[in-house]
Amino acid sequence: MEPPVIALENVTVTYRSGFLGGTAFDALRGVSLNVSAGETVGLVGESGSGKTTLGRVCLGLLHPTAGRMHFAGTPFGGLRQRRGQLSVVLQHPEWALNPRLRCGRSVDEPLILTGVPAAARRKRVAEILEQVGLDPSFAARLPGQLSGGQRQRVAIARALVTRPRFIVFDEAVSALDVSVQAQVLNLIRDLQERHDFGALFISHDIAATRYVSHRIAVMLKGEIVEDGPAGKFYASPEHPYSRALLAAV
Amino acid sequence: MTAPLVDIADLVIGYDTGMRQVRALDGASLRIDEDETLAIVGESGSGKTTLGMAAGRLLPPEAKVIGGSIHVAGVDVTRADDEALRRLRHDKLGFVFQNPTTALDPTLRIGRQVALAMGGRPPPEAIAELLSRAELNESERILRAFPHELSGGMAQRVVIAMAIARRPHLLIADEPTASLDASIREKVMSTLGRLRAESGASLVILSHDLRMVARHADRVAVMYGGRIVELGSVTRVMQAPAHPYTRALLTAAAGNERPGERLCPIPGTPPILESRCEACAYADRCAFRETRCDTERPEARPFLGREVVCHRAEAVIGAPTQARQEDR
Amino acid sequence: MSGLARIARRGRPRPNGLTIFGVVTLGCLLFLGVFGPWLPLGDPSRIAAGPRLDAPSAQFLFGTDELGRNFLPRVVQGIRSTFLLSAVAVAITAVIGTLLGMAAGYLGRHTDQIVARGADILFAFPALVAGLLVAAIMGPGQASAITVISIATLPLFIRVVRSVTLGVAGRGFVTAAEVAGASTLRVMLVHLLPNVMGAVIVQLTYALSIGMIIESGLSFLGLGVQPPNASLGSLLRQGSAYLTIAPWMVLSSGVVLSLAIMSVNLVGDAVRDALEPLKGRPLT
Repeated sequence: MEPPVIALENVTVTYRSGFLGGTAFDALRGVSLNVSAGETVGLVGESGSGKTTLGRVCLGLLHPTAGRMHFAGTPFGGLRQRRGQLSVVLQHPEWALNPRLRCGRSVDEPLILTGVPAAARRKRVAEILEQVGLDPSFAARLPGQLSGGQRQRVAIARALVTRPRFIVFDEAVSALDVSVQAQVLNLIRDLQERHDFGALFISHDIAATRYVSHRIAVMLKGEIVEDGPAGKFYASPEHPYSRALLAAV
Repeated sequence: MTAPLVDIADLVIGYDTGMRQVRALDGASLRIDEDETLAIVGESGSGKTTLGMAAGRLLPPEAKVIGGSIHVAGVDVTRADDEALRRLRHDKLGFVFQNPTTALDPTLRIGRQVALAMGGRPPPEAIAELLSRAELNESERILRAFPHELSGGMAQRVVIAMAIARRPHLLIADEPTASLDASIREKVMSTLGRLRAESGASLVILSHDLRMVARHADRVAVMYGGRIVELGSVTRVMQAPAHPYTRALLTAAAGNERPGERLCPIPGTPPILESRCEACAYADRCAFRETRCDTERPEARPFLGREVVCHRAEAVIGAPTQARQEDR
Repeated sequence: MSGLARIARRGRPRPNGLTIFGVVTLGCLLFLGVFGPWLPLGDPSRIAAGPRLDAPSAQFLFGTDELGRNFLPRVVQGIRSTFLLSAVAVAITAVIGTLLGMAAGYLGRHTDQIVARGADILFAFPALVAGLLVAAIMGPGQASAITVISIATLPLFIRVVRSVTLGVAGRGFVTAAEVAGASTLRVMLVHLLPNVMGAVIVQLTYALSIGMIIESGLSFLGLGVQPPNASLGSLLRQGSAYLTIAPWMVLSSGVVLSLAIMSVNLVGDAVRDALEPLKGRPLT
């Protein structure tokens, strides 16, 4: 069987603050989580529960204090070795794109970093913009001329352009209006079917999360308290905290 | 019959953006009765914040009232002088904003801020009593705290306590739970609702979350393109929406779908109006559109126990629930 | 984002009378400074072009000095050296300060500690003391004037660029570039630099006015521009000796220096308002 794209084993992240690391605080405590190709794992929990920290660990932006992390069966290593293999879509549409770069250039950047020749890059950028439902003419526009939903589409195009094996969506639809949210959620589902990437969908919104996810992990105070198929979160999750989240839907 | 608490008639407000004027409200009319909870629902740019803030004339300087009138508790808000307006805001209105940490003064202890909101030097027991009504226990600790030492939920409860301190007649809450964690939103909303019921004030909730407000409001006003397109009791509107936009919002939001069903997004984007819209503002995105929708501005009309601004309401309400595609 | 905040950001202030005054004055001064040597104003260094300490007249608009030199071309030369010296100094400082500020804000930790503390120390150092110290070490002249201006304005750039960088570095596009494997240098040049440039430009105008004040101050003390070259500061010094019998020398160079600093500040304010419209405007 193919190994999962991301496998976390007993990962702990400890923040130290104060003089000589006087006070320690565990942002993550013994977290184990697998994400397979073609699978979306939803990660829900309130702010401060450690879900963003977990996302940063999976992206290689933060090194675990303890525990092991594998990417497609091999130890994670550094980000430079993983060029083109993983990417991220973040919350604020107004901050997702460099306001001084034309959208095409933003989408192009991961390709430049992986050393793709210019002609191939142009073709690929046009192709991926089309796949996220944007006319290729958007490549020439600046982010300031786009709506929030359009910017988030460009951000998704940038995340997908190198055909990565793993994508983290960190509150990717939270700042969007309801009608636009549905467009973006559907887009994520369709693109996954096509590209077969593994995804971690981080959100405080359980309704949106269960809609895009195959599996959901619930975080509370740095630990995963419940991990099960998304269908369970339409009916009756076990942990009382999961039920409290569901009550608000 | 007594006059309504708030009577907004055919209100038109535009924002000067330098090169052109953008219309935020394009003839919005709304009456709010005593002792009710009304939710104003709409997406960003629909005009809901402008409408809510207009009740206290809390509008930025670029905003110009182009037409219509606002009466709140007998005061003509668009014509009132500064003193009358100040008295109205002070005695009759209470505001709860989206982000409690910016609504509180970071340099003052909570106790002092609450005391100021209560008007001068209330006895300590009165402050503690007010906080406990907002379901804040450990009032001793909270009163001594600075705003940044409180969690978002606690800070919002403090803001709510301050908003009701002078027993306002009208409470306006702009996205009161949007900045809070999902797990405590319900509780903060119920606190707000309970305090409103106890004081007999009216509550206006401005929100984009149709499902959340449905649990906490008596009536709902759905806004689109600077107008109220559907207004009626929550049960009527939610169970059988008569405006295609209300209907589309309900099917687009994640939460009501069954596992494996697909959400139906609304195609297109909301309009940006520069002058009075002489057609239906929603026509471009509407599944029920006909020729009349492009040529004739729909007016508000009573329809099955609500008010709706749509030529095609009969067709909308009669249409079967959209079959969602099956996948997954 | 709340609807109200979005609404409050719309619109843009129109230029007011003061701004126009500033732009026009600065434009005239820059024109004189740049093209002065080629304008038919007379030779600034020709001795005994007219009588000594002659009062302003149709022939000598700003009068003459104690060596009988035409004072108008000397003032124009003063504008040229004051602006040029400050501009060169500020330009060098801006480049260094922007790089250091970005490095401190983006890299954080030890880099930030060292750069930010260094900026604090420079900031706490009075410009006058620094000027005397530098002049003592390097000897009076243009090089020491440039050094002193750099010492005085470097912390301004570091502080502002650092704080803007801290804000920008947390944004999604920077994280996305990091995840895509972009190098630190690439992130700084492609993603941070264009987004801190606005703040740098605003700071440039303030630093320029500070630079002009410092340059005039040093030249006034005889530590900056050396004769026979003139700067507005050295002309003030020259004129102050004859204040009672030939007030036009102090008057003309002093008024021009004030106009120069004021116009730079006015233009700086206008640039700031244009780049950060409606910051903290109240509701009605």
